[in-house]
Amino acid sequence: MSLPPSNYDPRRVCINPFPKVDLGKHGRTVGIYVAGALFSIANWIFIDAAILSAHAKVPWGDDPPVHVTFVDWVPGICSLLGYLIICMIDKDRIRGDDTFGDSRAVWRARLVLFVGFALMAGGLAGSVTVMVLKYVLSDYAEMFKYYGYANVSQNACLMISVIVLWMAQSSTGEYEYNLTV
Amino acid sequence: MSAGLKTVILLSFVLAVGFLLIILSCALWQNWLPLLVALIFVLAPLPNALFAHCGGDDFASYENPGTVDLGRFITSMIVVTGFALPIVLAHSGVIYTGACVMSIIGGGLVYGTILAYSAAFRQEEEFE
Repeated sequence: MSLPPSNYDPRRVCINPFPKVDLGKHGRTVGIYVAGALFSIANWIFIDAAILSAHAKVPWGDDPPVHVTFVDWVPGICSLLGYLIICMIDKDRIRGDDTFGDSRAVWRARLVLFVGFALMAGGLAGSVTVMVLKYVLSDYAEMFKYYGYANVSQNACLMISVIVLWMAQSSTGEYEYNLTV
Repeated sequence: MSAGLKTVILLSFVLAVGFLLIILSCALWQNWLPLLVALIFVLAPLPNALFAHCGGDDFASYENPGTVDLGRFITSMIVVTGFALPIVLAHSGVIYTGACVMSIIGGGLVYGTILAYSAAFRQEEEFE
């Protein structure tokens, strides 16, 4: 046992704990503003693609060969559901303090966190899938591939936003390991 | 009051210039959609102002309850929406690029005025 006993927590999973995030006095406020901004940017990127698709005219006169349909909306909806689930988790439960509540609550909270992150990762993977299958593999002009890029950007921004939000909200407490799930 | 009469006059001038730019961006091209930007930026400080008082003065020792965070999150969302809306409108060809730039600058001036006003004339209690 290389660690001193005062620093050792028998319930911990990883050997090296995640570094404690210390962003200073205003770190929490700034982090939350940044998370909100990223959330808004993500959704506006996709709405921009959807509006552009609805108004699309091609220079050579035909109808546009492809539009933003419901398939493009599905990854974003998955990501938003995951975002909502992750935001609803009580951060103190994840930390594993069993001073209040039972230890089963920690397990359940981590399960819910896993479901939330799985939904977000599924949204990101789904957006990449839609981009590749619907836009890149087809021989569309570059102006239509923008729909696929916008979809991926939306989901990536949502992922970064939820991570920033999580770190900002847990930066003030004494966290030894908050993402060891 | 630390800030004097000059600050009020300066801020009112900046606010007027901001609204002038937004209204010009609408009127020059006969397309009144950018007026939404002014509405969004005026609404932007509202969630912060509302949720700051839900923070609970009774629980001053309890650090940073979630409602204050929610207010900041929504405020940030609305501010970014105010900047993104003209860009999206210009990108899809509904308004011209000049109108987009003018309404963004005007909206930034309006919101900056609101921020500067609330920072200059802060009360003794710490509003956030």
